[in-house]
Amino acid sequence: MAAPDHLGALINVVLKNLKFQHDWADVQECIRPNLSRSLLYGLPPKRLYVHPDEQIDIIKAEKERGEPIPQEPEVEWVLPLHLSEKWSPAQFAAVFDAIDAIPPGGTDREHAVDAEGGVEEHWRLWRGPKRGKRILLATVQDDSTVTYYWIFDGLVKPRQN
Amino acid sequence: MASPADRQVRISHVAGRYLVFDIDDVVHIRRHHGICAVLTGTMPQNPTQNLFLGLPVELHAEEARLLVDKGAGYIADELAEHLSQLTLASDAPARKAYLQHLKQQRRSAQQVFSEEKAKVQAMHQDKRKAKKSVTPPASSSEAPADTSERDAPASLFDTPASTPATVHNKKESSLPGVTPTTSQPLTTPPSSSYPTTPTLKNYPLCQYLNSRGYYTTPGLRFGGDYSVYPGDPFRYHAHYLANSYGWHEQVAMLDLVTSGRLGTAVKKGFLFGAEKPAEGGTSDRGDGKEKEKEVRVFCIEWAGM
Repeated sequence: MAAPDHLGALINVVLKNLKFQHDWADVQECIRPNLSRSLLYGLPPKRLYVHPDEQIDIIKAEKERGEPIPQEPEVEWVLPLHLSEKWSPAQFAAVFDAIDAIPPGGTDREHAVDAEGGVEEHWRLWRGPKRGKRILLATVQDDSTVTYYWIFDGLVKPRQN
Repeated sequence: MASPADRQVRISHVAGRYLVFDIDDVVHIRRHHGICAVLTGTMPQNPTQNLFLGLPVELHAEEARLLVDKGAGYIADELAEHLSQLTLASDAPARKAYLQHLKQQRRSAQQVFSEEKAKVQAMHQDKRKAKKSVTPPASSSEAPADTSERDAPASLFDTPASTPATVHNKKESSLPGVTPTTSQPLTTPPSSSYPTTPTLKNYPLCQYLNSRGYYTTPGLRFGGDYSVYPGDPFRYHAHYLANSYGWHEQVAMLDLVTSGRLGTAVKKGFLFGAEKPAEGGTSDRGDGKEKEKEVRVFCIEWAGM
């Protein structure tokens, strides 16, 4: 069967796209026995997602400090898919059940930040314990266009964009 | 009115549709059960006007079942019930009671009409008196303008108010006809347990959202099963457009991507959910009283990259 090769090629397309088109750093493959296919994770050049409630916390903190808080990028999960695939809710649930909210490599960094932060630094929690599970769906088309969509586990209110 | 906790909403099952005819029930389910449903009533003379529809309210089958499962309502098969009530009651006191009730309604309508008429007449007399009392000191320059201003609304009301009054004077003796909005007095409250709806594909998601305080409205305008509001749609914009799938239903990625894109374009998330079947694989549904099964939901948004 050519299926494994096909999957490998698909993952490779997404990996290259992230690295060279979107300037991601440290993109790596995560292979786990309980995952039907390997996920990617890496560090985007700028922060990709801010929860609407986190944004409120940041604005509050910025007002208190009187200066803007730089938003460091976070390590994100990526799930490579082909547009012609069909996935069931069961499969998405299995992927979410297999991962932690924070990809490997993201944890140390967040904890370091957390330790130095004070009690009133509410907004920092969103990078650590309050971070929900989210994955970037990297949907590959036949012409190798890749479109990225967030998928969240549970009810996550939309951003005000 | 009964206390909100134990009010039983009558859901009329007519020609496969679930309708609520009582305005108090409609208010109750909206306020206490987060169900706004859809107003479907229109004027027979003007059926194409669909901007301001009225009673009855039509419920989704899953909303009807939700109310029944919550113990907040019951479903009545109106055709069978009316037929049996009307044929059975042909010479029974129930029929007399119903006719009596109708007459009572007409009497109270008559009373309201005459009160209204008296009020209008009193207003006119007041106006006339005011006019008379104002005219004498009309020597000042501002007074005439004042009276004409006050006259204008009076003359506006004059014509419509006086014509029905004369019509009513002609046949004062006969009571006005009324069209009751419900036939509540004819029907008996909880009839035998009418079979609730069969298994509904969307029910688990609908129940999941309702139990978390979300309101749902039909989602066709955004291409989904529901639009989901975080509170009453009068007060909030929708947060999600939602679709319900089966746990193992194969969903084309293109559907997820396009719905996600559309949702983001209208400042919403695309939500899809499915009910996880019980572990043992036994399908013990239908009872409705069992504890809520696990429903998994996922939200999709454009990532902006």
